[in-house]
Amino acid sequence: MLQAIELTKHYASIPAVQKVTFQLEGGQILGCLGPNGSGKSTTVKMITGLLEPSRGRVLFRGEDIRRDLVSYRKRLGYVPEEPNLYPYLSGREYLEMVGILRGIPQPKLGKKVDTLLALLSLYPSRHSAMASYSKGMRQRVLLIAALLDDPELLILDEPLSGLDVSSALVLKNLIRALGEQGKAVFYCSHVLEVVEQVCSHLLILRQGAVLVCGSTGDIQKRIGHSSLERTFHHLVDDVDPGQVTRDIIDVIRAA
Amino acid sequence: MTRRTSLASKWDAYICRPFPLLVRLSMNRIFHGSNGGEEELNISMGLLLALLAIPGGFASLLLFDKYGSFLQWLRGQTKFDPLAAALPDEYFFIVLSMVVTGGVALWWWDSIFPDRRDFVNLVPLPIATSRIFLANSIAIVILTGLCVIDVNAASSVLFPASVGGAQPAFRFAMQFAGVHALVVTLASVFSFLAVFASTGLLLLLLPYALFRRISPYVRTLIATMLLAALSTSFTVPSMILDLPRFSHSPLRFLPPVWFLGFCQLLRGRADPSLAKLGYLAIFALAVVAALALIAYAVSYQRCFVRLLELADAPPGHLGLRMSWIFSLFDLLILRTPFQRAGYRFVLKTLSRNEAHALAAGGFLGVGMVIASRTLFSAFNGKGLTPLPSADVLSIPLILSYCLVVGIRFVFDVPAHLQANWIFRLLLERSIDESAALARRVVLCFAVPGIVLVAFPIYLHYWGWTVSLVHLGVMMIWLMLLTEVLLVGFRKLPFTCTYPLFQHSAVIVAMAYVFGYFAFTAITSELELEALSRPVRGMVFLVISLCVWYVVHRVRKSFVEVRECLLFEDTPAAAFECLHLSDGGC
Repeated sequence: MLQAIELTKHYASIPAVQKVTFQLEGGQILGCLGPNGSGKSTTVKMITGLLEPSRGRVLFRGEDIRRDLVSYRKRLGYVPEEPNLYPYLSGREYLEMVGILRGIPQPKLGKKVDTLLALLSLYPSRHSAMASYSKGMRQRVLLIAALLDDPELLILDEPLSGLDVSSALVLKNLIRALGEQGKAVFYCSHVLEVVEQVCSHLLILRQGAVLVCGSTGDIQKRIGHSSLERTFHHLVDDVDPGQVTRDIIDVIRAA
Repeated sequence: MTRRTSLASKWDAYICRPFPLLVRLSMNRIFHGSNGGEEELNISMGLLLALLAIPGGFASLLLFDKYGSFLQWLRGQTKFDPLAAALPDEYFFIVLSMVVTGGVALWWWDSIFPDRRDFVNLVPLPIATSRIFLANSIAIVILTGLCVIDVNAASSVLFPASVGGAQPAFRFAMQFAGVHALVVTLASVFSFLAVFASTGLLLLLLPYALFRRISPYVRTLIATMLLAALSTSFTVPSMILDLPRFSHSPLRFLPPVWFLGFCQLLRGRADPSLAKLGYLAIFALAVVAALALIAYAVSYQRCFVRLLELADAPPGHLGLRMSWIFSLFDLLILRTPFQRAGYRFVLKTLSRNEAHALAAGGFLGVGMVIASRTLFSAFNGKGLTPLPSADVLSIPLILSYCLVVGIRFVFDVPAHLQANWIFRLLLERSIDESAALARRVVLCFAVPGIVLVAFPIYLHYWGWTVSLVHLGVMMIWLMLLTEVLLVGFRKLPFTCTYPLFQHSAVIVAMAYVFGYFAFTAITSELELEALSRPVRGMVFLVISLCVWYVVHRVRKSFVEVRECLLFEDTPAAAFECLHLSDGGC
């Protein structure tokens, strides 16, 4: 369904992403992992069409997304990393605006928005300005906005950030269920446990390049570790966490 | 050299200590605004000080002509009383210093008190709240002092130099300079403290959420009053001379007149009525200072300490009362999803975002000041005439011009730029409906005023013919103005970065000024001519319609040539690649 071919992005000649290639099929949940500065966010921005690659292409159902960005985005749901919303709009107003822009007819839209707000426990505060929302509430608004038009492809960048335990559980189940329904999910996160529980496939980036890509089971078998945390540490981490911890404590204690 | 180095290093060491650091932090917040976001218009301190000093210096330079002895001799002014001649200019400088300092205080309105960010960062540290309060107070005093000195420095040197330059005694110039500097400084301090006291009192008397809600309206009202004072600064001095005869004149309520009275009192030129007002100036200054101090201290205790409990969000449920208007407009004028969603977004931003409401309100305030002056001069001692005068006809045009230009200006001011990703993601950038949306917004603001307020008034006083012709002219010219202002507009309002300063900016500003005269003065004169001769009236309406159609086509063709929605105003490329080898494509 989604294919990234040698995606490269330079910021003023500094490479942020280099020749990133991967494929995502319907029903797959691809977890994107990598340390800070590994190029995850830049990759996400390129596959959503928000950022134009310096080189390479993104294909959706075999078509370059840049040829018809509007119809691509019509089939795309996106939850960005930061919950940047208009604080003076209420949650319902924001979702109504997104729904109108997505071309959902009015009576259906209002009903759908209200139902989703109720299901994600936002209904009582639907008319309050989002300035008064907690981070988790804003994240839930973004999630509804992404799911509102029944997208074929879902791109989630740290979607659990700020969510309470029950909302996080709902979201994890929802992602699995969406995968089972044949939707493609690109899931970007730092939380290895969640990626391990939810994702069928993995894409690990380091310094802007693909370190490893494939099914979660295959990768773990290849590296020879049973947990994703050990696999990730084996592939990515140059430092010994135990040693760093000891060093920090020494510095704090120093006079 | 060594001594200087050691002083500098001592100063460097001092400003790195906790309390001076807190003062610097408060000064930065007050100066750069609470949000400090990328959409804030950040001006450096040096540039601001230069801008504030310009009006006083420039106005003083223009006065050298008036007080020059050689020019007086050429004009045949042999008996020249410099103190009497300086009275209107002194009044102007008092008003100018009050307006500029009051304007600065209005600009800093939101950041005079420590905000949520200060609370979150400072309160967990081992610093007493009283020290934070003291540091903020000192920052306010320093910035106020700096602002007052800067605003009045040029006029305190140049104005006395121009008045006293032709006088034989140097003492005269020195005395004149001393009194002038004292009076304009006190007037500036009064103005700053009055705005400051208003903030503190409102914060003290109202619930915090209500204070946030009404803040833009209060600021607009104060800005309008300051503008009204400035625009009447040339007419009030002649009325001041009549004060002894009319002891109940409304001039007694104008603070600049009090300070002029104080000035005359110091110069020994005050008649009893002005002397009374002079004492009132000092009394008012003391009252405002006490009020500002008390209100600040109490509201600091009340609000800063409980800052985390007080939501910045407007109270209650949003948008419920307006939903039927949107449904109605969806049926009547908003044709596409872009227009429907964009209209809701624009209206809510304009009504709820303080900076935008304030800027649009400021333009409307200027319009109201000019319109009320025009109305006053049109009916000053005159009754109703069978046909309205050009001045009377121009009043709705003045208000419409200021409102439309204000809204167009505000469209370029970004609102929460980081949140515009949703529009970048969902909007079809190749189809540009932005001008159509902007036109609908502008007309929805201006047309109800014309149809529901102006039309019934003209109908009541001048009958059907005059009111209908006037309505027709206003509508056509309003559409024409809207079309002109939206040529090249390719943005969803509030979602694009600030426009870059371009070399054509000065020409555009001048075009706005000339446009004002063309739209208000020339149109109303032509309309008066048309009203007095019906055939010419018809011709005038037809020509107006033709002009509108031509501009409309030009704007359309402009969109067809450059059809892409903008989210960033990037500079034009220094070099353009023509791709001649690719056939220029």
